[in-house]
Amino acid sequence: MDGGRVHRWVEHTGELELELSAPTEEGVFADALDALRELLDEDDEDAPATESQRVSVSAPERPLLLAEWLGELVFRAEIDGFVPRVATDLTLAPDRLEATVEGRPGRPVHLVKAVTYHELRFGRDRDRWRAHVVLDV
Amino acid sequence: MYELHRIGPVLWEIPTSARADMRVPARVFADGALIEAIRADRSLEQLQNVATLPGIVEAALAMPDIHQGYGFPVGGIAATTGPDGVVSPGGVGYDINCGVRLLAAPFSAAELDDRRERLVHQISRDVPVGTGREGGLWLRGAALDAILREGPRALPAQAGDVSDHDLEHTESGGRLEGALPEAVSARARERGSRQLGTLGSGNHFLEVQEVERVLEPEAAAAYGLRPGQVTFLIHSGSRGLGHQVCTDYVKRMDAGLARHGIRLADRQLSCAPLSSPEGRAYLAAMASAANFAWANRQAIANQIRRAIGRVMGPRAAAQTRQVYDVAHNVAKLEDHAGRRVCVHRKGATRAFPPGSDDIPADYADVGQPVFIPGSMATASFVLAGRQGAMERSFATVCHGAGRRLSRTAARKGMDGGQLRRELERAGIVVRCASARGLAEEAPVAYKDVDRVVAVVARAGLAAPVARLRPLGVVKG
Repeated sequence: MDGGRVHRWVEHTGELELELSAPTEEGVFADALDALRELLDEDDEDAPATESQRVSVSAPERPLLLAEWLGELVFRAEIDGFVPRVATDLTLAPDRLEATVEGRPGRPVHLVKAVTYHELRFGRDRDRWRAHVVLDV
Repeated sequence: MYELHRIGPVLWEIPTSARADMRVPARVFADGALIEAIRADRSLEQLQNVATLPGIVEAALAMPDIHQGYGFPVGGIAATTGPDGVVSPGGVGYDINCGVRLLAAPFSAAELDDRRERLVHQISRDVPVGTGREGGLWLRGAALDAILREGPRALPAQAGDVSDHDLEHTESGGRLEGALPEAVSARARERGSRQLGTLGSGNHFLEVQEVERVLEPEAAAAYGLRPGQVTFLIHSGSRGLGHQVCTDYVKRMDAGLARHGIRLADRQLSCAPLSSPEGRAYLAAMASAANFAWANRQAIANQIRRAIGRVMGPRAAAQTRQVYDVAHNVAKLEDHAGRRVCVHRKGATRAFPPGSDDIPADYADVGQPVFIPGSMATASFVLAGRQGAMERSFATVCHGAGRRLSRTAARKGMDGGQLRRELERAGIVVRCASARGLAEEAPVAYKDVDRVVAVVARAGLAAPVARLRPLGVVKG
């Protein structure tokens, strides 16, 4: 938990199911990065960030924007060997997310094949923002 | 909730009356014990969702290894037909043409003897495993286009020879018709450009095995399998290229659902009519990714032959013969009961019976081989397709034991180091880059493969031909 952000891995027989919750919409996206880092950075969780990359993704609605955000981070981990640690300057527009992502070069042992649309959700529940996403691993 | 009726000794059905949106029943092949395990997760709810797809015919089907997936359950089969039949990328899955190739060595386990550990080690050195892009062939532009269009036939010389025997003993000859490289996005090409000839992580693995028992001598003889013989099983797919093709088309079809008047029970079932521009484009891209996967398994097979050559000599390498290569994540246009249908197989394997035109001539009398990997410490099976599969399952059988525990639960049960020691005590040589990955694929996470195969046999879908036991495993 960081800044009121909470993520939780839910039992799923075949894949990885993730619940995200934060006081703000931006927090949910930051929380998603935290969860992905947990997967990718199994062996070197305390390694400092040594480089940064600018990320910009767009989608017509929030659930799809979350899928695009995670998909972009997965792509950079697989192709560039870029292991994300934290997002700074994360800004949201209705159909766009821009952020600077700090991370380190690495060779993650675990990678995510894809971010699915299965039960993909993003919305407000009382005083918190909550999202749900299933990753194919 | 749903009503589940037993309609045969190993067949269960959820009727269309269970939900207003089901167009066909949902049927599962299972015995009493397996159906209880299946009901423990949400796979049957997902199978009902599949039964709502436009143009689905007969039934949404599931094999005894079914488990909860995303959109389609893993172990699911759906056949759709025109005029409004759809194709669903999620019905194939992200790892397009994930599949299994089996090689048969000219030597026995007894002859391998004290060179076993060396051979497993050599394979782990020669075959790039793991996740990223290190170690694969670097293919771009026209060279990658050729792989997407032609499959293993287009492999560059550095990947080793591709014999006519290997091609003839690969499902669809290792080349799906209709592949169009231009239907594959730049991002998908980027992900695949350095991954050809790499195993990948997750449940992908290589196994060195021994034929423990022959169960049907005639078919075993046709497949060239005998007791005590060493075999090599390769389980891998289309790597990042296939993952991205599925991602791209789920997104594209999701955006077009309203235009086609399609409402879905689950967004991951995203689909488009087979005749639509996006439906045709997906089939062309999927065929390209499938061809990439066959080239990938061919390159891995050649690397294994190189390892055999180093440890057992060049003659042994040259005489290591491909038994067959089957896909278990693919959609294909096939003729069933007099009509052309698009058969989605998601974690399910084609199994044509004897006499089929689409299997190698030397297997025509015994049926198409199917390979069912168990888990790391348990058996795998070689099966032969039977007529019952044509009549009851769109010529399809299971693809494995099927998960029963989540990855988290598997890790809680046993850590990777402990599992490695147990496997080694059982005489199984293990090479795995990640202790966590090893624990997630622990035998306890899977159903009983003997029971799964027994159901398939009782249903008349396939006949058990040989039981293989593991001698060594290499995992990403």
